[in-house]
Amino acid sequence: MTPHRLSTGGLVNRAMPLRFSFDGKPLKGFAGDTLSSALLANGQMLMGRSFKYHRPRGPVTAGSAEPNALVTLGEGARSEPNARATVAELYEGMAARSQNRWPSLSYDVGSVNSLFSPFLSAGFYYKTFMWPASFWEKVYEPLIRRAAGLGRAVMAPDPDRYEKAWAHCDLLVIGAGPTGLMATLAAARAGLRVILADEDFRQGGSLLSETAVVGGLPAADFAAAILAELETLSNVTLMARTTVFGWYDDMVFGAVEKVQKHVALPDPDLPVERVWRIVAKRALLATGAEERPLAFGGNDRPGVMTAGAARTYLNRYGVAVGRKVAVFANGGSGYRTAADLTAAGIDVTAIIDPRTEISRAQVDLAGESLRILSGASVTATRGRLGLAGLVAERSGHEEVIDCDALLMSGGWSPVVHLLCQRGRKPVWSVAHQAFLAPDVGAAFVPAGSAAGLARLSACLRDGAEKAVALARDLGFAAYDTDIPPVEGEYDPAFAPLWYVQGSKGKAFVDFQNDVTVGDLSLSQREAFGHIEHTKRYTTGGMATDQGKLGNVNTIGIVSGMRGVSPEAVGTTTFRPFYTPVSFGALAGTARAEQARPTRRSPLHGWAARHGAVFVEAGLWHRSAWFPRAGEKTWREAVDREVLTVRENAGLCDVSTLGKIEIFGTQAAEFLNRVYSNAFLKLSVGKARYGLMLREDGIVFDDGTTSRLGPNHYVMTTTTAYAAEVMAHLDYCAQVLFPELDVRFASTTDQWAQMSLAGPKSRIILQRLVEDDLSDSAFPFLAAREVTLKGGLAARLFRISFSGELAYELAVPAGFGEAVADHLMEAGREDGICAYGVEALNVLRIEKGHVTHSELDGRTTADDVGLGRMMALQKPDFIGKRLSTRFGLTAADRLQMVGLKPIEPDAEIRAGAHLLKENAKPSTTNDQGFVSSACYSPTLGRHIALALLKSGRERIGEKILVWDRLRESEVLAEVCSPVFVDPDNLKLRD
Amino acid sequence: MSITYTHRHVLEDHITGFEARPNVNHLSVIRRPAMAVVLAHGGAESDVDLALDMIEGVSKRVCGPAEWLAVAQDRTPESLLRALTSIPGASVLDGSDGHVLMRIDGPHARKVLAKCVAVDLHPDVFPIDMSAPMLIAHVAGNLARTGENSFEIIVPRSFAGTVFEEMKEMGRDVALTAGFG
Repeated sequence: MTPHRLSTGGLVNRAMPLRFSFDGKPLKGFAGDTLSSALLANGQMLMGRSFKYHRPRGPVTAGSAEPNALVTLGEGARSEPNARATVAELYEGMAARSQNRWPSLSYDVGSVNSLFSPFLSAGFYYKTFMWPASFWEKVYEPLIRRAAGLGRAVMAPDPDRYEKAWAHCDLLVIGAGPTGLMATLAAARAGLRVILADEDFRQGGSLLSETAVVGGLPAADFAAAILAELETLSNVTLMARTTVFGWYDDMVFGAVEKVQKHVALPDPDLPVERVWRIVAKRALLATGAEERPLAFGGNDRPGVMTAGAARTYLNRYGVAVGRKVAVFANGGSGYRTAADLTAAGIDVTAIIDPRTEISRAQVDLAGESLRILSGASVTATRGRLGLAGLVAERSGHEEVIDCDALLMSGGWSPVVHLLCQRGRKPVWSVAHQAFLAPDVGAAFVPAGSAAGLARLSACLRDGAEKAVALARDLGFAAYDTDIPPVEGEYDPAFAPLWYVQGSKGKAFVDFQNDVTVGDLSLSQREAFGHIEHTKRYTTGGMATDQGKLGNVNTIGIVSGMRGVSPEAVGTTTFRPFYTPVSFGALAGTARAEQARPTRRSPLHGWAARHGAVFVEAGLWHRSAWFPRAGEKTWREAVDREVLTVRENAGLCDVSTLGKIEIFGTQAAEFLNRVYSNAFLKLSVGKARYGLMLREDGIVFDDGTTSRLGPNHYVMTTTTAYAAEVMAHLDYCAQVLFPELDVRFASTTDQWAQMSLAGPKSRIILQRLVEDDLSDSAFPFLAAREVTLKGGLAARLFRISFSGELAYELAVPAGFGEAVADHLMEAGREDGICAYGVEALNVLRIEKGHVTHSELDGRTTADDVGLGRMMALQKPDFIGKRLSTRFGLTAADRLQMVGLKPIEPDAEIRAGAHLLKENAKPSTTNDQGFVSSACYSPTLGRHIALALLKSGRERIGEKILVWDRLRESEVLAEVCSPVFVDPDNLKLRD
Repeated sequence: MSITYTHRHVLEDHITGFEARPNVNHLSVIRRPAMAVVLAHGGAESDVDLALDMIEGVSKRVCGPAEWLAVAQDRTPESLLRALTSIPGASVLDGSDGHVLMRIDGPHARKVLAKCVAVDLHPDVFPIDMSAPMLIAHVAGNLARTGENSFEIIVPRSFAGTVFEEMKEMGRDVALTAGFG
């Protein structure tokens, strides 16, 4: 046996020893240990150094609120900093390292900070490192962060898997202690689908540390018996190692399951952690209560911990936290622990109790031989790296008592975090001398200790009764559950004690952030009195533990300093997460390429075979250009593609355009209302360009709509706005015009659509199409079903974005690659090439066609030269009314124009601003901006589209194109935005 | 000149043909099912709904108010369309190429799907023959329960690669296999 491991007792598996290491030193523990219990069993009370003063620290708790015993677990890329030793499940080969110390835990140079502590009070950094201001970010803060701090994250990529999942239930029970187990049992027997989640690797909560007898069984056996019954029920899901960390809208709870944090080498097919979104109709908070530390001088010395923690180490792990133990308590908890320690043969030297009146039951519990100093306090502790003694003070008389552990209890605080995460604050209860959960409605309620109950029997009953009530509320026939009798309960009464008068040395309130009573006093003096200000000024309640242990004492002490009740001080804001959750778990599988879905066009494979370079456009991966051997820059490829289209023909994948199929006897009327231009008289077999406005008169989207049958249309949208247009049409059909007979559905994914553009496109296409494509048989804007040679039905549209003779051919997606291959083959002798969206963009700029670079949510139809698209003779259309607003018709609005640099070699880039010639470069002289720019291989120069104040009146004017970001100024001539074929001769060829 | 056009399934890029034999938990990609979008016009909603149930060999998937996907694994798209266009009050469009149909079978099908969809698939809530539109691996699709441990997934073609890979990833802990079948 190790010095502190008792020869018997505890729930650890003594038949299964585990080897582990701490700071490289090999040690042994047992299965069922936490790192903390195993270290204590080995006599290692010192586990870390504090954040600011580098003071030696040991565990204060045996659970998830632990502020001190933070270590780094694992090695290399699997290092996990700031892991709480008190909840880290021991496993074979665990490697733990202490943090925030150099060169070693027991000899830490940084502890020199402690000598300077008079200067390191709250707000010290802000006051001291004020000048020069630029030094804060670059010098002071990095230095301070290096000196003070917790563990360090490793920069290596995380080698492990994480995942996320959903779970659903009628009742979520949070916490598998006595309350949660009884609640789950009662609800499960009533037939509810119940999820019981608990953060511990062993379910049972406080029953695992309890010496009472429940239902005739030792408490831990009672827990095991209930769990055994629950495991047989198909309507119960037991989620161990699962911390419910957040409560979100619509009764969705966030939880994180540690799937493989207790193994040295994780199975690569399993995640190490899994985030659960649990959707619960009802939820019960059975998270128990947290014991409060006491604020007295030297209360942070290793060996000082809560009485409940020592009881857990003793009863659950079979570990004595000391050999000579003193207790400083203001209530029953201290007496209970003292009794358990005495029974285990540990020397309890004294109980120091600030109360002068102690209940008979508590005195009896301590036993006759135990020395009780009533009306006394601990004012200081002795020792260096561990506790050696304490100073007890009573009525001015001081007494030094030797001890190697001091167990404190300041009463209990219900753990109500989850109930407070959606805006409601905890409520101070005078009767409980604690903050209780707010009333958040009947769907989510606290029970047991979380509801302020202290006795085990009361918790068992409360859990069962509240579960039955929730079951009935959900319409289940639930019967009252028998409550097992409890033998060996204690008197939990306590009197609040926030601050110990006459304390010498630092009295810590927040252990993790080294916040003392003196810091709280300073924040009051310096006008940071509001509890939220006190928190920020002192850092009390920040960092990884978020003040789970210290906040209530902070509030109590501040209330004492201000002479008001804790109710008047109130609490700070509770937010998720209850305990830290790793980024890996939150990301799940969504990392690297899996970070978001990708969309592939039906012609993706065809484009890839032609050497396409792809560009992400939203979720789509679109072919941007098709470099050929010898082409060194993207521009060379794009220039060649543009010229090939203008001279011969090119094939471009336009499958990503949104396609919406519209049906109905009043589809024409519907289109007439959603488009600004006229659509009633579009004849079957024809396509028409359409412009959609928003309700406020600004352009929304554009595209073509073709009439394929009397009551059948197909609309195209831009790639970027496909989903928005669909949603807009849904809104129009369902809300604005429900009287119209119109139905529609997206058909974007059904079709592989290719644009064949260029003077030779008709000749090439005719080789593949059975139907007559002559200009008279298939004129500009014709749109109808055709048959490809071989019998494949396709849709053909004679529309053009490039300004060339052009067609868009649509075939079912699965045939896309085959048809594209045949088209390329059919056009080979005519010099056809594949072209991408970059060339497409150059072609449309040359032709003066707009995209969302111009339709940017600020422009009207008239601004971009599409004023003729406003069919104002129509009785109404979306955007009509507001398009006549003064602001939208003002003469000095920005209007779309073309720009040509005066110097033929000069380059214009999109985003540059426009100034009058000779105007001072300044945004106050702003005349507009460049919306699209490119090198035009057709014209052999750079060109641009721009939005210029009253632009159309200013054709021929010289304008300064000012690019502040890229430090360039270019003189350009304002011209028509149509650079190529202004009379549309090519279109109708 | 007569030309033959090869039809290509979008997941051919993801399935090599050298996959392991199906395990108990298996994801099958149906190679060429016939699928059509059926829209009911005002007043004909319930008639169209009923009519869809009467066509033999066609499964009906709920996609929204008065909107369904009709799925047939032993008909051609043309034959399915012919059968559907005869329904009064309905508009129909071919969706056989626009959607990808997959089926997941096995004792852990629900466990895998719990990582892909936010919807409760408990048999009391989502019984056999029920279908609903939902996000599947972040993609808007349709899920149907076809057996106690069998579900069919329909997603847009362009997203199928993402969904297929994501499902395989989510099935790693239950040794999910995948392939055409």
